[in-house]
Amino acid sequence: MRFDTVIIGGGLAGLVAGISLQKEGRSTAIVSAGQNALHFFSGSFESLEEAPQRLSELFGEAGIRLHYCSGIRLMPLGTFRPAALSLEDVSLFETPGFARKALIVNFAGYHDFFTSFLAEGLEKAGIACRIQALDLPELERIQASPSEMRSVQIARTMDRIWEKVVREVGALLGDEDTVILPQVFGLRDITVPGRIRQAMPARVVFVGTLPPSVPGIRTQALLKRRYEVLGGTYLSGDEVLEADLEDGTVQSVATRNLGTHRLLAEDFILASGGYFSKGLRSNPFRIWEPVFGLDVDFAGDRTAWYDPAFAADQPYMAYGVKTDASLHPLLDGMPVKNLYAVGSVLGATRPEFGSGAGLAVRSAFRAVDAILKEEAL
Amino acid sequence: MNTREFDVIILGGGITGAGTQRDCAMRGLRTLLIERSDIATGATGRNHGLLHSGARYAVNDPESAAECIRENLILRRIASHCVEETDGLFITLPEDDLAYQQTFTDACRAAGIGAEIIDPDLARRLEPSVNPALTGAVRVPDGSVDPFRLCAANMLDAKLRGGQVRLHTEVTGFIREADAIVGVHTRNRQTGACEDFFAPVVVNACGIWGQHIAALAGVGINMYPAKGALLIFAHRINRMVINRCRKPSNADILVPGDTVCVIGTTSTRIPFEECDHVAVTPEEVTLLVTEGALLAPALSSTRILRAYAGVRPLVSSDDDPTGRNISRGIVCLDHESRDGLKGFVTITGGKLMTYRLMAEIATDAVCRKLGVERACETATTPLPGSEERSYEAVARKIWEAPSMAQKAAAARMGTGVSRIRSGKRSDEALICECEEVSVGEINSAIDHLEVSTLTDLRRRTRVGMGTCQGEFCACRAAGLLARAHGCVEREREDLSDFLQERWKGNFPIGWGDTLREAEYTQWVYKHVLGL
Repeated sequence: MRFDTVIIGGGLAGLVAGISLQKEGRSTAIVSAGQNALHFFSGSFESLEEAPQRLSELFGEAGIRLHYCSGIRLMPLGTFRPAALSLEDVSLFETPGFARKALIVNFAGYHDFFTSFLAEGLEKAGIACRIQALDLPELERIQASPSEMRSVQIARTMDRIWEKVVREVGALLGDEDTVILPQVFGLRDITVPGRIRQAMPARVVFVGTLPPSVPGIRTQALLKRRYEVLGGTYLSGDEVLEADLEDGTVQSVATRNLGTHRLLAEDFILASGGYFSKGLRSNPFRIWEPVFGLDVDFAGDRTAWYDPAFAADQPYMAYGVKTDASLHPLLDGMPVKNLYAVGSVLGATRPEFGSGAGLAVRSAFRAVDAILKEEAL
Repeated sequence: MNTREFDVIILGGGITGAGTQRDCAMRGLRTLLIERSDIATGATGRNHGLLHSGARYAVNDPESAAECIRENLILRRIASHCVEETDGLFITLPEDDLAYQQTFTDACRAAGIGAEIIDPDLARRLEPSVNPALTGAVRVPDGSVDPFRLCAANMLDAKLRGGQVRLHTEVTGFIREADAIVGVHTRNRQTGACEDFFAPVVVNACGIWGQHIAALAGVGINMYPAKGALLIFAHRINRMVINRCRKPSNADILVPGDTVCVIGTTSTRIPFEECDHVAVTPEEVTLLVTEGALLAPALSSTRILRAYAGVRPLVSSDDDPTGRNISRGIVCLDHESRDGLKGFVTITGGKLMTYRLMAEIATDAVCRKLGVERACETATTPLPGSEERSYEAVARKIWEAPSMAQKAAAARMGTGVSRIRSGKRSDEALICECEEVSVGEINSAIDHLEVSTLTDLRRRTRVGMGTCQGEFCACRAAGLLARAHGCVEREREDLSDFLQERWKGNFPIGWGDTLREAEYTQWVYKHVLGL
């Protein structure tokens, strides 16, 4: 099978690259091994503030609105972080004292939403808090199994009964000006969080839960749909096993599901992620990139891979494939001309791209521009 | 409740201290146990969890071997919910001398250990994970024992008999009257509160830290700190304990326990000052992995969960300060006859396996001092949780059709599982999915087992011990602890400490799937949850 560009990895970086290229009339395929970092997305684009015009456009066309205001956001353990470009689910505030009094509502038996931590954090900011639990008969079936009260299962029920939840929360509301709810709304329908905000007689703030992230999964689904509407070929549950290189150029890649039907293309984008996504692999002696065997920047002495402090920036996270300035990765010191590395396979942070979702988006756009420019020549 | 006067104060919340408190309480004494950190934080919780048959010592130390097998048989009766009767193999590999097998078996029999030479083919069938190249095998009555559970059961029994326990409390000095110890000054390390407690006898059961405690009392004990490093694998690949049939050496015991298995150990003398901060070196990791794969080749492709190290409380004999003449036996020092200091007894040396005997010896010494004449009954009285032998039977008595999680809880708690509030669906929700620990089991530990931190909770319930190393359950359990203790600020710090403690055991083996999991955990806590 022949495409203009084959993209390895179906997370944020791969999808942004795929959508952008499809929009410019290129034919592309994305090979996706399964879950990716969007499944535990906080809803905020680390290291991005005002959305680049093309990002707002790209997300807007997929039905996703982004917003930013300079200030702070509330984290699931009751701490505050500087605001970043965010999905609409995430509320951004100018100051920590954004309310007078807040009602924190959880579902009975749900342990992945940290009400007492939130209350403590808010009270420190001068916001009086009251915690209430909703005991909903609609959740009984999920609760019957001891490990099912998790975000996605609850969100599936909420898609059906969110209007009832709004009524019940409304009935619990006293003189609070703000209601805090877990981010388990609008798994399939992105308009739900907005409609809850409209229907509630107080301001609604959605706060994250333990992964999986409901807004993240929804974002992944909407971007994937947009990509397919534009004619992209998204190969789910498949994995690139090896690549064929000639004269420093990638000719084709083989995948597990397609067997001998290799994927051929003019250009390839490696968006395979970090360690968790298996874009980078490690053993006691080295760290390597498994598809192409690209050059990876890492310390030869394993003890230098870690900082003994859990909370410190870990050296191993900064390791990634080496590239030239145009994101062509190096193989035995030589750039691979028609291959681009984007997202966290580059390492967790790159000075020019930032980290996390910011890194994914910025590096994907850079690769897309390079591919389009090359073709124009 | 607020009395400050006791018959005996026991220092040290390891298995020796907890066992001594139980024995003293059973003989009718008013007891107080003081531990600077949590139960089982020293050598008690940092070993193989091997229910030694004694076979390992049979050739070189027949006396210890005989002690081991006697205590082994006792623990199977009194602590059945802490013990798994797996049996063990001593295998001979092509590079080992097969002639040693006969010497070994003869020595075992002389010590009273049922050792049976079996056909290598039978060994391969009994234990499919064993190195198939083995040329000989001996079957012995080894098993596995959960030292955290054993320690908690001793402490719980002492409490049920009126004993008091002060955890996270350190002794800052001794109260003396003339030539006698009459009490201790203490300081609670969490609240800073200082309290004095009084008793005519104080027992020093602080393991390697006993040297420091003795110095505080003004007497000298010469300990010999020997570090041992071990690795836990994320899967249980063996059914039986696997040992090498040769002179005891490094990394030649593989012990299965619950859902994991443990390879160890090494032995390195370390300076006394390092006892609080032992770390596993890359060389030790390499040695353990290489030698472990000789016992069971599957280990080389099994994910390693953690690396950890403990310090054996070995004692240099009094006339040999160089430490060459090390005893692995039990040492009970009456400081009145030894140093002219009344009211102070040190119990040290020994092994996890012989904790009950150590407790008996120490309690006998205490009773002699107090003029109490009552025989020791710990060898025949089951610990709480072990009144019934089969966890299946226990589970069925409480639940008509026990779920997997309820069976897991019954295996962990024995008859104590009836303490779990049940019947309510909300109590059955799982907090820790790797180890199947429910809300009910966690609340029960908080109510009955002196839990103040997440790490305490882990030692009592296995929360966070599984393949995810506390990634999600730490947060959920922190929510329950915050509610129980009513202090979120402390709990947030506790959560950080817990994750730090997990990382300490992960980074020495940080590659492959362990690094994948670590990256995920570090990303989630930092960027998603905002800790």
